[in-house]
Amino acid sequence: MELELVRHLARSAMQNLEAHRRRIDDLNVYPVPDGDTGTNLVLTLRSIVEALDASTATDSEAVAKDVTRAALMGARGNSGVIFSQIVRGFVEVLGEHEGISSALLGRAFRGASDTAYRAVKRPVEGTMLTVIREMAEESEKKEHRRVPPADLLRAVLAAGEDAVARTPELLDVLRNAGVVDAGGAGLVEIARGMVHGATGEELPEAPMEADALGFDAIHQELSEYRYCTVFVVEGESLDKDGLEAELEKIGDSLLVVGDATALKVHVHTDDPGHALMLGTAVGVVEGVEIANMHHQTAQREVRLLEGGAPSALATLATGLVAVCPGRGNRRLFESLGATRVIEGGQSMNPSAKDIVDAVEAVPTDDVLVLPNNSNVILTAEQAASMSGKTVRVIPSKSVQAGFAAMGRFVPTESADENERAMLEELEGAATAEITVASRDASLDGVDIREGEYLGLVDDVAVISGSDLDVVLDEVVDRVLAGGQGFLTILTGENAPPLDGLVASLEERDPHLEVEIHEGGQPHYPLLLVAQ
Amino acid sequence: MNLTSENTAIVLDSTSDYPDAPARFPNMRFVPLYVRFGDETFRDYLELGPAEFYEKLRTSPVTPATAQPTPADFVEAYETLSAYERIYSLHVSAKVSGTFQSAELAAQDVGGDKVRVVDSMTASLAIAMLAHAIQRRLARGTTDDEISALVERFHVHCDVLFTVETLEYLQRGGRIGKAQAVAGSLLNLRPVLSVENGEVVAVARVRGKQKAVAEIERRFADATTDEPGLRVAVAHADSAEWVGTLSELAWRVRPNAEVEFTSTLGAVVGTHAGPGAVGFFWFQDTD
Repeated sequence: MELELVRHLARSAMQNLEAHRRRIDDLNVYPVPDGDTGTNLVLTLRSIVEALDASTATDSEAVAKDVTRAALMGARGNSGVIFSQIVRGFVEVLGEHEGISSALLGRAFRGASDTAYRAVKRPVEGTMLTVIREMAEESEKKEHRRVPPADLLRAVLAAGEDAVARTPELLDVLRNAGVVDAGGAGLVEIARGMVHGATGEELPEAPMEADALGFDAIHQELSEYRYCTVFVVEGESLDKDGLEAELEKIGDSLLVVGDATALKVHVHTDDPGHALMLGTAVGVVEGVEIANMHHQTAQREVRLLEGGAPSALATLATGLVAVCPGRGNRRLFESLGATRVIEGGQSMNPSAKDIVDAVEAVPTDDVLVLPNNSNVILTAEQAASMSGKTVRVIPSKSVQAGFAAMGRFVPTESADENERAMLEELEGAATAEITVASRDASLDGVDIREGEYLGLVDDVAVISGSDLDVVLDEVVDRVLAGGQGFLTILTGENAPPLDGLVASLEERDPHLEVEIHEGGQPHYPLLLVAQ
Repeated sequence: MNLTSENTAIVLDSTSDYPDAPARFPNMRFVPLYVRFGDETFRDYLELGPAEFYEKLRTSPVTPATAQPTPADFVEAYETLSAYERIYSLHVSAKVSGTFQSAELAAQDVGGDKVRVVDSMTASLAIAMLAHAIQRRLARGTTDDEISALVERFHVHCDVLFTVETLEYLQRGGRIGKAQAVAGSLLNLRPVLSVENGEVVAVARVRGKQKAVAEIERRFADATTDEPGLRVAVAHADSAEWVGTLSELAWRVRPNAEVEFTSTLGAVVGTHAGPGAVGFFWFQDTD
């Protein structure tokens, strides 16, 4: 092993790895999805290159020693550490001889694989380890023994590529994320760099980062938006930058790739209709895929649960079905962990069967139901007795009461623990609502005229009038009478503008925290809950 | 072999948040992990203290990342302990960091069975508490078997509850574990978290700090009895006001409790917990 040659190969490996660093970072979901495998491998390799530059070794054994030491010193991250052991096993064999032959390389790959496996306490297949082992197996084949080293390396590289492609078959976490193993992919790029260094061939261009990623892998990053929207726009002289700029305003995780005649769009947005409209404005839209990512996340959790994969994602202990009206409310409940939401509520009560169906569709045996309406509680209890699962009804009488209870829900905790916490929250919550009177009436001693605002606190009418500010003031006073520190307002259809409300409330009590969410429920312009 | 503090050393990594260990005990060593801000790399505590770290976190345009020590870092630490016959190397949960793996490789490099590498299956001051528990036994003389039994009991009975301002930091660093279940919420709700089987789990979600304290109190009271030997530790990320609140809580609920450590979370743990995080640890050990 000659120092100049080793320097050259290490640099060539490094150059190719650098070109793929971002792609490999993006693949990283195992063992910890922190997106740094490519960076760690580059840093590890860089320390080898630097040590070689500084080395004054004259014989093969000394070169091997320097390389081993540098790899160990510089190893970063899990993949870097395993890689350092691959390097160690590899150069230890090469260090025994001054020249290089295919037979010796075969033994070196074997040494690399064995050393790496030995270093890891519980080797996991579908990782870098599998890739180096399969490379070693290829290198040992009889037919390669008498070929020139460059040909052997090409065959080993091909075996490595093949092994990387099959990593998702071996490791569920990878399959579920739709990616290949990041460490394995890094190892192949290092090998590719070395092959090209050894043969003097030009390196192929690094593939486009976006193309290399699968649909599910993109969703490993968590989006605040709900819909993943993918489509192709075909046309003439399409303006990629212009479309990108427009799409940026409505979402994130944006990718627009292609040329002037066809662009592929990927965006996370709450308004996929608008995204498509931007497409149809400039060309013909095709291949539309719209996926509900909240739903996908839940599905992935279920898949992982069933597969028993060693995963960073949640395993559910308790499922939850909520009944609530309005798109905004549905989204709030889902974002807080509701497994299923049934549209319904005032004047659109769901049937017991609707609830049973939802309960059965939940992947857990323990299920909580939030009826969120006094008229739905009984139906929910009936549904609970019809279902084969262990169902408990948390008797929330209104959407806002259910919302308060929902804040305490932790799907990985037991149903007992969740029930206790949620009942405690219902107990301590004061609720109110503002509606518009549909006829003249007298209720709880309050005279009401059709068309006027009516304020109720804990289901009792307290004020009516045409001036919303006056009604709201009285309602807020009463709902906060217990000294609660948090007030949440869910706005419904025909909600009045609430400009200045938060400021005036906080002025009244600087310790009060106010949140306003778009609930979208009919009949009640404002729902309030104090906690 | 009779193990004493004369012949047995303890190596901690910097996720123990116990940088004073070597100054307090001549048989202890402290190996830093790395914190990276863009192209700048720092050794935890040694080159970037907690105060500078939180300042940098507020002002730096890049988000930090962390890296485990290299095997060579551990080899170096083990080599400084050549006068000792046994080394206990205690590390952050292998489910959230490759530190344990690096230490294992270094132990193999040293050879023999001199170095015992222990996966604490937890993090931060809990590891410091384990170090003290071992040290108490070394002071009176102990055996490998007794330490193994202690570690086993520690895995089951050392508890931690912590709460963070936002799950964003755990999420970003990929250390969120099963607490993913309460992430992605639109609302200003505070998760109460724990570590089970070496990974982060959510145990409750509450509205506001007060409720988080009440939840910690309820769980602490349920899990402990007021007997001597109950040790408590409090660690916070740049929000010292918690130290008083939680120490007071410990003494109110369990007058016999001893507050063994209070400290600031260092740069590495702080990178993953985020400013405003606080951890409350306890371990019952009468030795």
